[in-house]
Amino acid sequence: MTGRVQLAVIGAGPAGMAAAVEAANCGASVVLIDEQPAPGGQIYRAITSAARPGKAILGDDYENGAKLTDTLAASTVDHWTATTVWQVTPEREIYMTRDGASHRITADAIVIANGATERPMPFPGWTLPGVMTAGAGQILLKTAGLVPQAGLVLAGSGPLLFLIAAQYLRAGGAIEALVETTPRSNYRTALRHLPGALRTPGYLRKGLGLLAELRKHKVRHVKTATRLQAVGDGRLQALRFSRAGRQHEIACTTLMLHIGVVPNVQITRALNLPHDWDALQRCWRPRRDADGATELDGIFLAGDGAGIGGAVVAELEGRIAGLASARALGTLETGKAEARLAAERSRLAQEMAPRPFLDALYAPSPEFLAPPDDTIVCRCEEVTAGQIRSYVGLGCIGPNQTKSFGRSGMGPCQGRLCGLTVSEIIASETARPMAEVGYYRIRPPIKPVTLGELAALHDDQAAAADRSLENAS
Amino acid sequence: MNRYSIFSLARNAVNYHKDWEKAWRSPDPRPTYDAVIVGAGGHGLATAYYLAKEHRMTNIAVLEKGWLGGGNTGRNTTIIRSNYLQDESIAIYELARSLYEDLSQELNYNTMFSPRGVMMMCQTEHELRAFKRTAHANRLAGLDCRMIDRAEVKRLCPIINDSPRARYPILGAYYQPRGGTGRHDAVAWGYARGADDLGVDIIQNCEVTGITREGDTVTGVQTSKGYIKTNKIAVVAAGNTSAIVEMAGVGLPVESVCLQALVSEPIKPVIDCVVMANTVHGYMSQSDKGELVIGGGADGYNNYSQRGAFTSLEHTVTALVETFPIISRLRMMRIWGGIVDMTGDRSPIISMTDVKGLYVNCGWGTGGFKSIPGSGFVFADTIANDRPHPIAEPFGLNRFLEGRLIDESVAAAVAH
Ligand SMILES: Cc1cc2nc3c(=O)[nH]c(=O)nc-3n(C[C@H](O)[C@H](O)[C@H](O)COP(=O)(O)OP(=O)(O)OC[C@H]3O[C@@H](n4cnc5c(N)ncnc54)[C@H](O)[C@@H]3O)c2cc1C
Ligand SMILES: Cc1cc2nc3c(=O)[nH]c(=O)nc-3n(C[C@H](O)[C@H](O)[C@H](O)COP(=O)(O)OP(=O)(O)OC[C@H]3O[C@@H](n4cnc5c(N)ncnc54)[C@H](O)[C@@H]3O)c2cc1C
Repeated sequence: MTGRVQLAVIGAGPAGMAAAVEAANCGASVVLIDEQPAPGGQIYRAITSAARPGKAILGDDYENGAKLTDTLAASTVDHWTATTVWQVTPEREIYMTRDGASHRITADAIVIANGATERPMPFPGWTLPGVMTAGAGQILLKTAGLVPQAGLVLAGSGPLLFLIAAQYLRAGGAIEALVETTPRSNYRTALRHLPGALRTPGYLRKGLGLLAELRKHKVRHVKTATRLQAVGDGRLQALRFSRAGRQHEIACTTLMLHIGVVPNVQITRALNLPHDWDALQRCWRPRRDADGATELDGIFLAGDGAGIGGAVVAELEGRIAGLASARALGTLETGKAEARLAAERSRLAQEMAPRPFLDALYAPSPEFLAPPDDTIVCRCEEVTAGQIRSYVGLGCIGPNQTKSFGRSGMGPCQGRLCGLTVSEIIASETARPMAEVGYYRIRPPIKPVTLGELAALHDDQAAAADRSLENAS
Repeated sequence: MNRYSIFSLARNAVNYHKDWEKAWRSPDPRPTYDAVIVGAGGHGLATAYYLAKEHRMTNIAVLEKGWLGGGNTGRNTTIIRSNYLQDESIAIYELARSLYEDLSQELNYNTMFSPRGVMMMCQTEHELRAFKRTAHANRLAGLDCRMIDRAEVKRLCPIINDSPRARYPILGAYYQPRGGTGRHDAVAWGYARGADDLGVDIIQNCEVTGITREGDTVTGVQTSKGYIKTNKIAVVAAGNTSAIVEMAGVGLPVESVCLQALVSEPIKPVIDCVVMANTVHGYMSQSDKGELVIGGGADGYNNYSQRGAFTSLEHTVTALVETFPIISRLRMMRIWGGIVDMTGDRSPIISMTDVKGLYVNCGWGTGGFKSIPGSGFVFADTIANDRPHPIAEPFGLNRFLEGRLIDESVAAAVAH
C-alpha cells in the first residue's frame, strides 16, 4: 500500500465513487480510500450489505446507490476499505492507518470527497445520555436495523429530519413528536426563492410526500419551537421548549437532533486552503473553481465536503472532479474533457436550482448558533458557552486562543463538534464578521492515530533527507 | 488591575466568572514611544515587563503581528532546566530558572512552574561520558545536579523499559531535580498582564513591515497599523528576527528549521518527571491534564512552513515506544511544528547592533522557553542602559566575528 499512485480519491460516497470511476474510465490508475468497511458514504451507507433494511424502509433514493456501487465494482478502481486518512499534505502525500499500521502514499492528483458532518445543535441538556444526532440514529438503522420502539422525539429542522422520521415510521417505529425549530421568518425569506426551486420540482414533491407520511401516522408535529432544553436526572427524561410564549414538555427517552449538515473541512483546513464563510448556510466552504480544482496543484474537491448540495449534486461534482483530474493527469484529452465537463456542469446547475429555497427555509435558528451560557459547547473538554464568553471578556480574540484559555477544540473530535459554535460565539460577542474571526487551526492527525500505529509507519519513500539534525541547545 | 487572590476568586465564582476585568487592554498605537519591542512572545513580553518594572520605561509598546503568545511560546513543550555545558550558558539559564521559581508571586499570576525533575538519559557510552563531563562543569558552577544509575532511573520513572538488551539500553541519567516544566501560555499572559498594568501598550494584529533610520540611528517602524516614531527598537521575533532586522540593513547568522511535538490522549498519571532521550531525539513528560507531551528532533533542512516531515517524528516515536512500551496503544491527538531559529553554536543572540537603537534577541532555537525570565531581564537592562548586561555580553553578535563561540551543540549534544 505504499508508493506512488496516479489518482487518490478520499471518501467513497456518491462524490468519491463517481470521481474514481470517471477517472478510471479515462484510463487513470485510481485508488479510492474510505474508513468504512463498504462503499456508499452517508446516504448509501451499507448499500452493499445483505443485512440492510429494504427499499420499502429507506426509499428509492437510497436504492439508487446500488447503480454507483455496481459501476464501482465493475471498474478498475482499487478500493481500500477500512482505511482512515489522518493527514494530507500540499505535496499530495496521504497518511492513513489500516490494520494497525500507518501508511504513506504520494499521489499525482487527489480528489477530496470526504462529505459532510451534522451541524452541532447545542442547547442546555444536549449532552445527556439519551440525546443523539438524527444522523447517528440513521446509521444504526442502516447498518443494524435498529429502531427505537418507544419514547422517541425528533427535534430541529431540515429535510433530513423529515426523511429520517419517515424511515423510522416505515420500519415500524413510533415517534412521540417531531419538534421543528425552523423560525417563522424563514418561510417568508424562502418564499422568494420558490419560483427558482420549481425549476427542479422533484425535491419539493419528495418533501411534501414525507410530510404526508408524518400526517398519515398522526405524528405530533410542533412548529416554530424555541428555547429547547433537554432535562433528566442522569439521563434524558423530557424535552422542554417554548412555543407562542407558552412552555411545553414532552416526555421521551431518546431525543434525536438535527439542524442540517455542513462541509467537513478538517482536511481542507489542515491543508491551509482558503475557506469562504457562507452566511446563509452558516458554514465554511473550501474555495474551488467550477472543476473542483483548488489553489493547490492537483488537489480537487467534490461533494458535500466542498459545499452542501445533496447526493445527486455530490455525484455530478464527483464526475466533474474525476474528469478534471484525468485531464490534469493527461489521461483525458483537453478537447474531449471540455465537452464532457460542459454537459455535466449544465446538469449540475439544474440540480442546484432548489438550493436557495432550501437554504433559506432551513437556515439554522440563531438560538443554536450561539447557545445560552450554561450549555456545553466543547463536549470533549466540557467547555460551556459561558466560559467562551468569559475568555472573550478577558481579552481572547479568536478561536485559536480559546484553546489556550480553556482547551476547547483540543479533544478527540479535533474540534469538529465545537468549531463552528466557538467562532459564532466570539463573532457575536465581539461584533465582528465570521470571516474575520476565522476558525480553529486544524492540526494533524485529522483522526487520532495510536503511537504504535505511527511507530509502524510503512514508507517506501522515506526520504533520507529527513534524517534529523543532531540538534542542540 | 484585578488582583488575583482566593477572595477575588470566590467573589467572581458567584457570578460565573463573568465580571473579571480584561487581563490586558487592546490599545491603538500612539504616534511615538520611547521604545518599541517587536514580537509578543515570552521573550518580548518579559523584556517589556522588566523595562517597565526595573527601568521605569513605561512609554513603550510591544507590537505583535498575530496574537500575544501565539508564536513558539504557545507551541513548545515547556521543559525548564539550566544544566548546560558552558559557563555563559549556565549563567543565563540558571538566572532564568531561579526567576521561574517565584514567578507566580512576582506576577500575581499562576505560571504553574513545576520543578518535577528533568532526567537526561544516557543510552550510549558516548552519551554517558559526555554527561559526566557536563556534570563536573555544572558542579563547578554550583548547580544542583547529579548523575544517577539505572536503578534510580527506574525508581524515578517506573514505566521505563530498563532491560539491558533494549535497542537503546539505559546506562544511567544526568538529573536536575529542580528542573521541570511551566505553563507556556500562562508565562506569556502573566508577563503581558504585568506589563500592561505598568502602562505598556501591547498591540496585537500589528505587523512590523519596515524600519526607518537616519544615518546609523533608527527613527521608527512601519506597521500594518501605521507609522510609529521611536529611537529604540528591540526585535524579539524568534524565526522572523533576521527578516525584520534586514529591514534596517543588518544581517544575522541564523537559520530556520522546523521542530515538531505531539500530544497523546489524556491518561492517569504515569510519569512525574521529564525524561529526555537525546540519542533518539525524543523526550516526554505528562501534562496536568494527563496528556503525554512528546517532542522530537528538528528537521534536517531549512524551512518556514511550520509543518515538518512525519518521518523525523516517526523515528522518535519508534524509539520512545521501545523505551516506554505502555505508550504504544495511546492515541496521538495533535502534531504541530514551530520554526525555530538556530545559530551555528546553538546559543542565542542577545545583542546591540551596528545600527544605533536597534537591539536583537533571538536564536533560542529549540530551547528558549526555559530562558524567558532571564533573557527578558538582561535584555531590558541592555536596552535601558544602551550597553550589554554582563550576562548578555558573551551572547553579543561580535562573537561570530571574533570566533568566541559558545558551543552547546557538539559539547552537550542535547535538545531543550
Ligand atoms: C449523518 C448523515 C446522514 C445523511 N443521510 C442522508 C440521507 O439519508 N439521504 C440523503 O439524501 N442525504 C443524506 N446525508 C447528506 C449527505 O451528505 C449527502 O446526501 C451525500 O451522502 C454526500 O455525498 P458525498 O460523497 O459528498 O459524501 P459522503 O456520502 O458523506 O461520503 C464521504 C465518505 O468519506 C469518508 N471519509 C470521511 N473522512 C474520511 C477520512 N478521514 N478517511 C477515510 N474516509 C473518510 C466517509 O467514511 C464517507 O464514506 C447525510 C449526511 C450525514 C452527515
Ligand atoms: C515544538 C517545539 C518544542 C519546544 N520545546 C521547548 C522546550 O521544551 N523547552 C524550551 O525551553 N524551549 C522549547 N522550544 C523553544 C521555544 O518555544 C522558543 O525558543 C521560545 O518560545 C521563543 O520565544 P520567543 O518569544 O522568542 O518567540 P515567539 O513566541 O515565537 O514570539 C515571536 C513573536 O514575534 C511575532 N512576530 C514575528 N514577526 C513579526 C513582525 N514582523 N511584526 C510583529 N510581530 C512579529 C510572532 O508572531 C511571535 O508572536 C520549543 C519549540 C518548539 C517549536
